[in-house]
Amino acid sequence: MKIPQLKLKNQLALFNALSKALIITLLVIIVPWIVSEISIRETDDVLIQKLDQVIELVDSLGIDNYIDMESEFKTFGSYNILKEEYISIEQIENDTLYDVIEFSQRIIENELVDYRVLSYSIRENGNNYLIEIGKSISTIYHFEQNLKRFTFLFLLIVITLTLILDLSFIQYLLIPLDKIIKKLKSTNHPSSFDYSAVKTSTSDFIYLDETIHSLMRKIVEAFNDERDYISNVSHELLTPVSIIQSKLDNILNESSLPEEDMIKIFESKKTLRRLTNLVRTLLMMSRIENEEYILTEKVNLTNTLQNVLDEIEDKIVAKNLELKLKFKAKSFVFPGNDNLLFTLFYNFINNAIRYTDKGHISIETMKENNQFLIKISDTGIGIHKDKIPHIFSRFKNSSETKDSYGLGLALSKKICDYHNIEVEVVSELNKGSVFTLKFPN
Amino acid sequence: MRILIVEDEKSLASELKQFLEKEEYNCDVAITGSEASELIAINPYDFILLDIGLPDYNGLDLIEEGKKYNPEAYFIVITARGELEDKIKGFDLGADDYLPKPFSLLELLSRIQAITRRKFGQKMSIIEFGDFSLDTNKRHLQYKEDGVDLTKKEYKLLSYLVLNKNRILDRLQLTEHIWGDFFEDDYDSNYIDVHIKNIRKKLSAFDKTDWIKTVRGIGYKFEI
Repeated sequence: MKIPQLKLKNQLALFNALSKALIITLLVIIVPWIVSEISIRETDDVLIQKLDQVIELVDSLGIDNYIDMESEFKTFGSYNILKEEYISIEQIENDTLYDVIEFSQRIIENELVDYRVLSYSIRENGNNYLIEIGKSISTIYHFEQNLKRFTFLFLLIVITLTLILDLSFIQYLLIPLDKIIKKLKSTNHPSSFDYSAVKTSTSDFIYLDETIHSLMRKIVEAFNDERDYISNVSHELLTPVSIIQSKLDNILNESSLPEEDMIKIFESKKTLRRLTNLVRTLLMMSRIENEEYILTEKVNLTNTLQNVLDEIEDKIVAKNLELKLKFKAKSFVFPGNDNLLFTLFYNFINNAIRYTDKGHISIETMKENNQFLIKISDTGIGIHKDKIPHIFSRFKNSSETKDSYGLGLALSKKICDYHNIEVEVVSELNKGSVFTLKFPN
Repeated sequence: MRILIVEDEKSLASELKQFLEKEEYNCDVAITGSEASELIAINPYDFILLDIGLPDYNGLDLIEEGKKYNPEAYFIVITARGELEDKIKGFDLGADDYLPKPFSLLELLSRIQAITRRKFGQKMSIIEFGDFSLDTNKRHLQYKEDGVDLTKKEYKLLSYLVLNKNRILDRLQLTEHIWGDFFEDDYDSNYIDVHIKNIRKKLSAFDKTDWIKTVRGIGYKFEI
């Protein structure tokens, strides 16, 4: 089961609400029981008090005062109009002693009524008498209901109040955490980090904030070191190349050399150029790895594609290839780095041209599942299916005859990863290849 | 024309000097930033060629100093660090052009010439060969009264050849000039040849003279 991710604030609120709900549930179960226990005990106390009063009365006035000895039924009964209470005294024959309180039913005026009944036997003038004092359940029940209602109301008020207080306190307490998270979210590049301290009296948050700051300083330091390093490597590698190139240029410029030597020097220049390209490509990849390129330019992809085509179209014409353009999707503005995206499109289209000798190069833009796609297909030599997984690795050649396939595509892949662009390759040997670029929304 | 070369690599500085002096520019060389700072304060220069990565001086400070003492001077900034930021900062501070190392000496010369033509306006911007006239301001070729229809790249290629007339331009230099320095490995390809073929065809429709000579194994040369 996947546990949904929640903010700490919401989790605390949820926990708070759940724990209170649990307390309420418990109380709902327990309170009626307690209340009825209490009310029964209360009733019993009242019954016992009343019994004491009755016994006192009987002692002082004599049993004859209540029971007519001459009558057939030696009983005395008294109840109030609403049958809420009754008291009876009755002469009994046996010697059993009663002293119980229990629930029991009595028929009074042909009506069955539930009572809590206290039965107690006394001995008076040589006879046994049973005194019964009853209190109707409905009055107990009524008392119980009132007690319950009051208790629940009280609980509800207390719980609502604490819930509101707790939630607003959590909210207030976590404001600094929200600020710290906001700060992290708005940092898309180490150099743009906000070092202002978050105001809080919670020591944990102060510690967290300070730790993030010190980590950020370390990241920026590492970033700057890496940038300096790349910049120095670039300088150290390209300066000697530049010196050699200038020397070769000057030699060629003399033009008094025999043709053979001139060709040799030209060949050396070409080799030097290859080295330059290699160094530049590797440096560009390192710079991407170090995230030196900003990704916040609003790049109109169709425009960039068109710029690449303007630059490259005459190569297509020179090779007598047909260029098929199908810009089916509306122009798409993508946050990225224009230079890198230009290089990306250039590399893919340039490759398509390079490996295609007849047929066409087709460039399509489309929207699929709300995603902007650029599809670059050719009718060229294609890629063997065993080699497709390796075409984006550095220095792995797809074609043994041409020497620079590997690094160009490795750079393209880097640019794609940097922009979160997905690349899909479909290719068939001697039929052609299709490269699809899928842009994130 | 007086040029100050500010470059801490002696070997490169001397190659630049040798090349530019052959093109009849008057050159001074400063190996350090402080040397350059002194020279800038004393001498009027038309061009200052500045390697921005000097060990003893912030190259960008030198531009500021240059703007103070040599307000007429044009700055061409050279860097091997390839930092985009410097490129932007350089242009902000008034660098007129930017060349990443390594660059071809001919490319440097063509940048200097382009700035010069801009500076002296119309007079220098039209170059004539036969009955053709090439207007480098309007980027347009004309035969007598008729315009010659060239594509953008064809124009760029032809003007580069014409501006460097009687000099061998190798395929690398032509490729670099036309396509810039993308990570391009197609200098062995025949794209340049296809363009030259088309230019020849278009020119010969007006005039049969073979201006563009093929230099076997290397490139082309525009002969007048």
